[in-house]
Amino acid sequence: MANLQHIRRRIKSVKNIQKITNAMDMIARSRFNAAREALLSNLPYVAKTREIMRRVMSQMRGQEYEHPFIKTRDELIAEQQEGAGKFLFIVIASDKGLAGSFSSNVLKEAHDTIEYDGTSETSSLDADDDDENFHRKNFDALKGIKPAGKRTPKQQRQMAATGGMARAAGHRGGGTSGAKNLSVAREYNDADYIEGIELITVGRKATTHFKQRGYNIIKSYHGISERPQYKYAKEITDLVMERFASGEIIDVTLIYTQFKSAISCTPDDVTLLPIVTDDYAKTSANLKEEYIYEPDVVSILNDFLPQRIATRIYGAMLHSAASELSSRMNAMSNATDNAQELVGRLNLFYNKVRQAGITNEINEIVGGANALE
Amino acid sequence: MATILLEVATPDKGEVYAKEINMLITRSICGELGILPKHANLLTELVPHAMRIKEGGGETKLFVSGGFMEVTPEKITILADAAEAPDDIDVERAKAAYKRAEERLAKKDSEIDIDRAEAALARAKARLLVKGVPIP
Repeated sequence: MANLQHIRRRIKSVKNIQKITNAMDMIARSRFNAAREALLSNLPYVAKTREIMRRVMSQMRGQEYEHPFIKTRDELIAEQQEGAGKFLFIVIASDKGLAGSFSSNVLKEAHDTIEYDGTSETSSLDADDDDENFHRKNFDALKGIKPAGKRTPKQQRQMAATGGMARAAGHRGGGTSGAKNLSVAREYNDADYIEGIELITVGRKATTHFKQRGYNIIKSYHGISERPQYKYAKEITDLVMERFASGEIIDVTLIYTQFKSAISCTPDDVTLLPIVTDDYAKTSANLKEEYIYEPDVVSILNDFLPQRIATRIYGAMLHSAASELSSRMNAMSNATDNAQELVGRLNLFYNKVRQAGITNEINEIVGGANALE
Repeated sequence: MATILLEVATPDKGEVYAKEINMLITRSICGELGILPKHANLLTELVPHAMRIKEGGGETKLFVSGGFMEVTPEKITILADAAEAPDDIDVERAKAAYKRAEERLAKKDSEIDIDRAEAALARAKARLLVKGVPIP
């Protein structure tokens, strides 16, 4: 029979845990409100930058215009065929856990994007009409093209696309016997494409995840995931620009969690560089007149493009912060609810045991009294 | 009188100004610009300064700390790092910033970033100008 004192102790410890999760929920809630406020204040600015970008880029299209950051898809394909250059990924995750599946979702998305080889049609991201989401489009355009010289890392992977879980298992290099062949093949490919990748990570979770797997992390930012600041976005932009201008990097992609509502946050990937003019074709019809650039188009673009990229990175950081906190809020309020339920069940059990003990004692007394008669 | 929509947005405060106006006088890196309704498409970079906005016979000032301005015939969009109406400006802070920037520039120390100090000076000056405070 269960010990009464033992159950009492357990109830007490569950109640204590509940207090903690409840406090964490409240903290996350107040921080989330601040993060959402920051995000909402930032949205008009991002939208306007994007509008201007679209107008300028759609006008840029069709002109034989040379700028290192702006390319047509044909130029991009030609560059890829030469097979030179690394890919740079910026991954924004959280510093702390206890936020449900927030970190694992964004890291999974990061792996999916890094390993994207133009074969996966499952991603819902392909369906959205975001004309600035070039990464997969670029890759789909490259499908079937055999690079002349050294092959690019992503194209070396001939693996059929498997589910995310199988991929993740492959990455851990272990797992069930079914995944074993896969994991061996993965390891081999891993080593191949790690060389072609540089990473910038925001958040400890992302850093430790990729460090374990031997990726080349050129810079990490910790302690800013919940409260992003514009200056960090600028710093990252400067670094990205420098790397891209050096010619070693041919593609910069940002992976973050998009905040849609307090209950819906989805990981997303966007390409920062190069900027492909083909994708701005949609709006070109609206614009007939040319822009006047003061002083001239090159100096304006030299200043405007970094600004645009910094804005996108900052926006992504704000999205990620709001998503992280809302995930933590949900996780903690679920934990509190579960604790409540557990306390209820334990109380019931406790009472049952107590009642059983009383009944037993009465039986003994009655039995004893009967024996005396 | 014809009007044109002026929108000013910043990364931290969102849309700080959105109004139909008659004329905007602003300063780009190439010099002063007066924008009237039905202006041709234009994209330019702004320096830190006090913008003058003419609407309904009156004139208001707005501080912008640099950024970009896009003009279409119907709309002016300004993307500024910061933008403040006279009421939002902290005079004491601007004065202190002005002094600090001047001191830094006076030192002519190679250690300090001249560009940054000059930009800070320009920002402080523009803030004080918007507020109508005489520059010390």
